[in-house]
Amino acid sequence: MLSRLVFLSANSLRSSGLIGAGLVQASRSLQTSSQRLAPVPPLPEHGGKVRHGLIPEELFEFLYPKTGVTGPYMLGTGLIVYLLSKELYVINHETIYAICIGTIIVYGVKKYGATVAAFIDSINEEKVAKAQVAKDSHISFLTEAIENEKKEQWRVEGRGMLFDAKRNNVAMLLETNYRERQHMVTNEVKRRLDYQIALQHLNRRLQQEHMINWVEKNVISSITPQQEKESIAKCIADLKVLAKTTQAKAAA
Amino acid sequence: MTLSLFDQFLSPVMFWIPLVAIAITLPWILFPGPTTRWVNNRSLTSQNWLLSQATSQIFLPINTPGHKWALLLSSLLIFLITMNTAGLLPYTFTPTSQLSINMGLAGALWMGVVILGMRTQPTHSLGHLLPEGAPALLTPILVIIETISLFIRPIALGVRLTANLTAGHLLIQLTSTATLVLLTIMPLTAIATGTLLFLLALLEAAVALIQAYVFVLLLSLYLQENV
Repeated sequence: MLSRLVFLSANSLRSSGLIGAGLVQASRSLQTSSQRLAPVPPLPEHGGKVRHGLIPEELFEFLYPKTGVTGPYMLGTGLIVYLLSKELYVINHETIYAICIGTIIVYGVKKYGATVAAFIDSINEEKVAKAQVAKDSHISFLTEAIENEKKEQWRVEGRGMLFDAKRNNVAMLLETNYRERQHMVTNEVKRRLDYQIALQHLNRRLQQEHMINWVEKNVISSITPQQEKESIAKCIADLKVLAKTTQAKAAA
Repeated sequence: MTLSLFDQFLSPVMFWIPLVAIAITLPWILFPGPTTRWVNNRSLTSQNWLLSQATSQIFLPINTPGHKWALLLSSLLIFLITMNTAGLLPYTFTPTSQLSINMGLAGALWMGVVILGMRTQPTHSLGHLLPEGAPALLTPILVIIETISLFIRPIALGVRLTANLTAGHLLIQLTSTATLVLLTIMPLTAIATGTLLFLLALLEAAVALIQAYVFVLLLSLYLQENV
């Protein structure tokens, strides 16, 4: 609290002419608040340690080497006794009242101090928690976005395979189509060639039949009746001979 | 350092240097301004929270143009509460137990509110001099009575605060004197008086807070009428 006064007064001293600047420099060791505002200097986690709610721990540490543990208490007692005995502090009605109000204040602080401190801490905690929630939700959103991005990248890798499959598909279709058409072409050509062959066969057959018919006709027409008689007689004679040989074989 | 009963109400002087200005301005160190931190320490957080709660409570019934008075009334509230509660400590001087300070605050603020009302909406302000639902016959008398009550307001405001604090402090002084004197003569009675003193001190603490709140509340009510 007093350091704040020193800082404020230092500001006003600085602007107050010749002596002011020297005073500021000379008293720099006494200025405990930070001399810069940015970046915001860190605050200590807890306030200075205090014994009995009023007396800073530094006094006890200061007196410990020379007077031990009871030193400050002896100092306090001695001071009080000195003030009372020399009547520098006179006991009057305000003393009674001071005892009274002191009791009330100490009792109030001891009883409700922790509760009030916890409540105030909860106000601050809520504020920090809200910011933390916002920060956490943002972080989780960004993490999710990273995950989705990675997934998309993985998908992109698979895209090549997809295109290959599609390309294969199309190639197969084309191949099938080509083969079908080739098959059709072959069939048609074969049909036409078969027709030509059938035509040729027909031609040949007709020629052969015609020739056979002509030869038969000519042969038949060339056979004279005498020849016919002679051939018939010969046949009969052959037959008789055959019959005789057969009978002979059968009898033997 | 023998004290008479009225020494606490004397304007503080040290070697003929008046200290009353320091007595009024020094307590303001307890209320630092906005800091460069997002999360403050416990005392600052509690001060901010209490002040925001109190101000929102006081300004709930007041319409939006009246919210211009928020800064004035909230700083007045802090001033009165600090002066009153600091005066509870022994050997302190309570500025708000002086009629001069309280009348200065009450008179100036009351006059400001009334003039504001008369200038912005004179008909509405004057209409407050006749309460609603009163029978027509009583109108002249009622207007006179309401005017008197209007002009008594600053006196009432100032004197209420002064009287409460002065009476409380004086009672405490008397009771503690009685306790001190009886301590050697009749110790048991001294214990009884001491208990009375204890209860009185508790009452004084409550009165300190309540009177400050009442002062600001009444001003906000007068503001509500006139804004």
